[in-house]
Amino acid sequence: MIASAPVLDVQDLHVSFSTEEGTVEVLKGLSYSLPKGKVLAVVGESGSGKTVHALSLLRLLPPTARITKGHIVFDGKDLTSLSESQLRKVRGARISMIFQDPMTSLNPVLTVGEQLQETILAHRKISKLRAKALAVRLLKKVGIADAAKRYNQYPFQFSGGMCQRVMIAMALALKPDVLIADEPTTALDVTIQAQILRLIKDLQSQAGMSAVFITHNLALVADVADEVLVLYGGLCMEQAPVHTLFKNPLHPYTQGLLNSLVSIKKKEDFLPAIAGNPPVPGTECPGCPFAPRCPRVLKKCFKERPPLFNSKGHKAACWLLEEKA
Amino acid sequence: MFNYVLRRLLLLPVVILGVTFLLFFLTQRLSPEMRASLYIKDPRQMGSLEEVIQKYGLRDNMFKQYGRWLGNALKGDLGYSQSANMPVAQAIKAYLPATIQLAVVTIVLVVFFGVWFGCVSAVKKDKWQDVLARVFSVGGFSLPIFVLGLLLLMLFYGKLGWFAPGGYSVYTDAVVHGGSFHSYTGFLLIDSLLNLNFRVFWDVLSHLVLPAVTLCIGSFALMVRVMRSSMLEELGKDYVRTARAKGLSPWQVTYKHAGKNAVIPVITLASIQFIRLLGGTVIVETIFEYPGIGRFGVIAAQQLDIAGIMGFSLMVAVLFVLGNLLSDILYTAVDPRIRLD
Repeated sequence: MIASAPVLDVQDLHVSFSTEEGTVEVLKGLSYSLPKGKVLAVVGESGSGKTVHALSLLRLLPPTARITKGHIVFDGKDLTSLSESQLRKVRGARISMIFQDPMTSLNPVLTVGEQLQETILAHRKISKLRAKALAVRLLKKVGIADAAKRYNQYPFQFSGGMCQRVMIAMALALKPDVLIADEPTTALDVTIQAQILRLIKDLQSQAGMSAVFITHNLALVADVADEVLVLYGGLCMEQAPVHTLFKNPLHPYTQGLLNSLVSIKKKEDFLPAIAGNPPVPGTECPGCPFAPRCPRVLKKCFKERPPLFNSKGHKAACWLLEEKA
Repeated sequence: MFNYVLRRLLLLPVVILGVTFLLFFLTQRLSPEMRASLYIKDPRQMGSLEEVIQKYGLRDNMFKQYGRWLGNALKGDLGYSQSANMPVAQAIKAYLPATIQLAVVTIVLVVFFGVWFGCVSAVKKDKWQDVLARVFSVGGFSLPIFVLGLLLLMLFYGKLGWFAPGGYSVYTDAVVHGGSFHSYTGFLLIDSLLNLNFRVFWDVLSHLVLPAVTLCIGSFALMVRVMRSSMLEELGKDYVRTARAKGLSPWQVTYKHAGKNAVIPVITLASIQFIRLLGGTVIVETIFEYPGIGRFGVIAAQQLDIAGIMGFSLMVAVLFVLGNLLSDILYTAVDPRIRLD
């Protein structure tokens, strides 16, 4: 994984929200690099900062949030320091995004075709007619039957799964280098989830695109990802190739997550869960954010934040690994 | 859609019956003698009061009288307006176009400036543009219309002499009522252009500007408010984020995406304001001596011209239903969710 040059390199990313009670740091120094053609899954529970991280990559954060520190290097340029108009050339064309709720992510008063067409026209100098032909082709490609007719319909005439297909067509319209998918299946029916996931995965590997896949669903990760990054309290807990992580999780949090996956084969009376609640952003402790819930916690864990110990590409932030490293 | 319009139109007779019956009921509170006295011009004729009561059946059962009025109205006869000295139907025909003209010009100004200021206000939230737009609109809203009208009159007529108050110039009256002026639409602003008479056009326009501006300043504050809050709400929605993520320009994101959604509530407000302008520009028409239907209505009311009052309210009721229908049709033009439902 380390061999090929990274397409996207995130270095020490800090994001803060300004609230009435003061500044709250949601991402506290996230670093990773995304190699070409690979899929990185960012896994975390609600409030871990995974969506904030996704939005910060293209600087789409709400006005109250700010990238306070760090760099996002893409194609030799630091996205955190580009001007809005320079960034606009990257958005949608080189790095594109799929969002969580496809029904609200499309404009209700514009036709699906129009929204697809304008994406193409924003980046390519071609005639409207050719953009339309391209848009219809894209709709077919993402599995929308009767694409020419559907082109002129509005989002409310589509089901959730169909809307997400449109979003995917939109994201892939300009053959981007990186696709960011922020919980693309969370708002969909379970039966549709697998279809959509398969579609994204197929299109991604066909095009040789890199992707950042954000999810809270660890089971889903095994199918799509090459590498997994576990996010907790705005910090990276563990990062490893997907098989290594599932076979040999090093961090107690990851172990807890994997433990709470329910197997169909075993009949269990109790659903195993991690005790306690995730940290509320803003109530900082100087040590490891997982310390209050950790079954193998040490005294040191509360005082000092563990660094990412790296052993052959398997990184984990836990003091238990200190001796081994 | 067609069904919807039809259903709305079927509602029209119900509304008209309700409004006119209510008003008729109120006028019946006046004694037959009082109502009869309206027909008498000279005190020396007071002796024939009983004769008038008999002739017009003013002592009949209320429902019988109402039925008689309704029957005549259906035939197009709304009675004779004592205050305007002509049949009511003719008075409406003479005065209504001027008011519609004023209302249309005003609502165009209100929507244009309201939407513009509201958008700027939302996009530049809490910046100086927002503060300016809010101060200006609330200022206009707080100033009573008669004060504002008089101030404008003092400034632009009194001091600067740019615009004329009062009725149209003698020249205009002479041309319009002369033989060669062809009345195509009844709207002088359009007719004068069609007749290629630019002097009349300019005269009519200069009488329109001050009342229209007065009405506009008075009612666009609400428009700015509605547009601003609606725009702010839309700008926070997911599809705006998608539009930005696609790499669209700020102009496209704000106006094409958010603006098209934000303008929907403005349509309701604009049609309510338009209907209000049609039926009730009384104060402004009075201040500027504008020859419109509002002035006709107020004079009819002052002089207890019952036929005039009934005719006026009948007209307002009809306009009200039609105005609402118009706003519903406009809705479908903007919002596909309603159009295709």
